[in-house]
Amino acid sequence: MQNLIAFLIRFRVFLGFLAFQTLCFFLYIQFVTYPRSVFFTGAGKVNGQLLTWENQFYHYLRLSEDNEKLQQENALLRGVTFDNYYQLQRPTLEKNDTVYQQRFRFIPVQIISAPTGQRNNYFTIDAGELQGIKKGMGVISSRGVIGVVFKVGKKYSLIKSVLTSDINIDVIVGKKQIRGILKWNGMNPRIGSITGISTDVYVPKWSEVRTQGSTGIFPKGILLGKVKAKRRMENQSLWDIDVLFKEDLRNVHEAFVINALFINEIEQLQQKIPTESIE
Amino acid sequence: MKALLRFIFLFFVFLFLQVFLARNLELGMGAHLFLLPLFVMLLPFETNVFVLMGLGFMMGIIADSIMNTYGLNASSLVLFAYLRPFVFKSFTPKEGYDALKNPTLSEMGWTWFLFSYGALLLMYVFWYFLVEIFSFREFLLILRNSFFSFIFSMIVALILQLFFRKKTLS
Repeated sequence: MQNLIAFLIRFRVFLGFLAFQTLCFFLYIQFVTYPRSVFFTGAGKVNGQLLTWENQFYHYLRLSEDNEKLQQENALLRGVTFDNYYQLQRPTLEKNDTVYQQRFRFIPVQIISAPTGQRNNYFTIDAGELQGIKKGMGVISSRGVIGVVFKVGKKYSLIKSVLTSDINIDVIVGKKQIRGILKWNGMNPRIGSITGISTDVYVPKWSEVRTQGSTGIFPKGILLGKVKAKRRMENQSLWDIDVLFKEDLRNVHEAFVINALFINEIEQLQQKIPTESIE
Repeated sequence: MKALLRFIFLFFVFLFLQVFLARNLELGMGAHLFLLPLFVMLLPFETNVFVLMGLGFMMGIIADSIMNTYGLNASSLVLFAYLRPFVFKSFTPKEGYDALKNPTLSEMGWTWFLFSYGALLLMYVFWYFLVEIFSFREFLLILRNSFFSFIFSMIVALILQLFFRKKTLS
């Protein structure tokens, strides 16, 4: 007993150090494993408010830039509205709600915090449970994919951005629609990497990378970026492809959260896939 | 009492600078600007290690909770605080430490500050990126980020030290 007490006194500083480190580690585990705990994150109430103020301040500094972006998008949208087109062929079939059912709904949000310098970058947006945000929804901007909703608070949410190592968004490359998986190697926030494409497939440079939409989170065919370079992976017959993102994630402020209305049906169907291996 | 109030004030100033200014800097090459360790460095010589670690932890957790880095800054700052007495001991000047002085650039001189803060900061950034990236496959990335962050944080720390110049008693 005396020895134990002597030991504790002798190593009290180191034990204190260990205790603090354990606490930090515990907080990390809590952040990663319990999706509903938002207290120690940017989606908490106080921090969300702080980040909102900060965002409002920086908002003034980029008003003209934002205006320009909106104007560009307006021009694009104006180009596709049906009012501006003369209809050559009158439809023979009348279109009504029994033919087309809405599949995606878009919730406009502001990104109030978007770090890009870390290995895994989590963004904060100014919408949460009250706006109908749920875990696992996709997030896009007008120029590409931002990420997937990771944690939902009452008024704020966290997004696991495409700048995380295991984001794993399924994409299609080029006109041949080759399937691959998007990841990030942590080097450059403008460049993502695609794996899972065999080297016997020819991937031309600057071919377009679009979302595949197989999980139903994202609509099919959203343009992400273009193929910038490709290398053979070491010891594997797979391409390691660099994608130049169309959206500059260091400078993104407005986004849309996608409410995929059919996601439950897709998930239910995919659960029915038998998992036992062939013997 | 006056000194205590000064340090409480500094605590929030450093947090504010780190969270709302340093976080938004675009430096490239994986460089981060770390200001929080400078606060732990500047606390008086006779401060208890447990107080140092407690303050570091508190500061880190507040910064982490706003920056979504979940315990990363706290862990690194606790390490910094834990190592501070050891490093100070190994860089003791010939005549020992003067109890009236503070561990600042202007009071302890360039050589002492560069070496002791440099050693501590190096361990701090290396720990930070080691914990953040947490994979030995990406060891080069850890080294690159640590190197550039170290250089940058050191330069800014030296510049900031100009604000802590002791007013000469005349």
